Amino acid sequence: MKFCYITFRSVTFSQKGEGILRRAGIPGSVQRTPRWMEEQGCGYSLRIRQTDAPKAVALLRQAGVPYRKIYLQRETGALEEMDL
Amino acid sequence: MIYLDNGATSLHKPQAVSRAVNWAMHRCANPGRGGHSAAMLAAQKVYDCRERAAEMFDCQPEQVVFTHNCTHGLNIAMHSLIKPGSRVAITGFEHNAVTRPLYARKVETVVAGRKLFDWENTLEEFEQALKSGVSAAVFTHCSNVFGYILPVEEMASLCRSYRVPFIIDAAQSAGVLPVKLGALGADFIAMPGHKGLLGPAGTGILLCGSTPKPLIQGGTGSNSRQQDMPDELPDMLEAGTLNVPGIAGLEQGLKWLQKNGIDKVFQQERGAAELCARELKRLGYRVFSGEHQSGTVSFVDKKDCEILAQKLGNRGVAVRSGLHCAPLAHQSAGTLETGTVRLSFGHDATSKQAQEFLQILQTVK
Repeated sequence: MKFCYITFRSVTFSQKGEGILRRAGIPGSVQRTPRWMEEQGCGYSLRIRQTDAPKAVALLRQAGVPYRKIYLQRETGALEEMDL
Repeated sequence: MIYLDNGATSLHKPQAVSRAVNWAMHRCANPGRGGHSAAMLAAQKVYDCRERAAEMFDCQPEQVVFTHNCTHGLNIAMHSLIKPGSRVAITGFEHNAVTRPLYARKVETVVAGRKLFDWENTLEEFEQALKSGVSAAVFTHCSNVFGYILPVEEMASLCRSYRVPFIIDAAQSAGVLPVKLGALGADFIAMPGHKGLLGPAGTGILLCGSTPKPLIQGGTGSNSRQQDMPDELPDMLEAGTLNVPGIAGLEQGLKWLQKNGIDKVFQQERGAAELCARELKRLGYRVFSGEHQSGTVSFVDKKDCEILAQKLGNRGVAVRSGLHCAPLAHQSAGTLETGTVRLSFGHDATSKQAQEFLQILQTVK
């Protein structure tokens, strides 16, 4: 199964995002953002199933939750920043 | 002990509050500072409280900022909104938590509404103050000395009409009266966590309806390479480690209030205070009571109020006496020289508690 990461600047918004997605039936986990993904240093991400990514992003936008970036997993397994 | 000093802090908290404090002290690490389970558990506890407070006070979770107490929140709010040397409208019932920060900023205050329990006077003078050209307004929701509940909805509406930004001091109302950031349209509302919200001392909440200015700078666990404070709430106001055990306890206080209902709490407190006011008048004391009053009632003894409070304390009755950190309110009511004895009932108020107090009072006269 492929996963994607949605990054946030603060733990609060990653938690808010997690709650919104959970209530919409999209499971995810809040975790520290891998260092290479966050040039500002220190942040939190939501790790969700890649198939859920388009719906998740739409829900976050609709709720006005400011996420930073989205990283999708390629066939090779590598993560790459993408626009959705 | 008959504890009637809830205006200073609630003492008999629900048991779940102390259990949560103890649990968090042993399980929770630093929220937003790591990815290990103890740090994430702390972050979850903090967010749970933020979310519950947001539900209770009609705002988004990120608009809930944790502070050390109500005074801390008021200072952040005034630092954000009030320029030194400006003109600011306040009421005649403000606490030093409002007047001292304004004094320190060399602000010219326009004091509006000096008559106790008189909404007409409060609103008329408050509107005049707004018309006179003020850059902001700061007002209490409920007087800590006299329990006078001010017409905050109407005052908020006037501020919006005159486009005057405003701050509400909800020190005595949060947990007892409805406090809604969204509906009031306030720029900031500050409240303690340890009074009506039944949380531990060292907790407070600042609700942010506008973009604030940080009062202190430091680590937030986010955007660490950047030397400016983060521009997102709540991180921009929460530099340094949060009081996680206190916040975990506060969440249980909020949960208790949601379960039991603040209307019920208000009715119990009000009933006990009314009974005391009536009997105190009958006993010949000068009592301050009227319409629009909370579960707090002040009275003046012919003797020294401090001595009476001491005598009551010796008999196991906890009341507060003196100026209650609100000389302006005493000036308005004409009690600056004498001070008052204040009874402030809490969530556990009963008529039995009030009757026991009255019985003891008559034996210490």
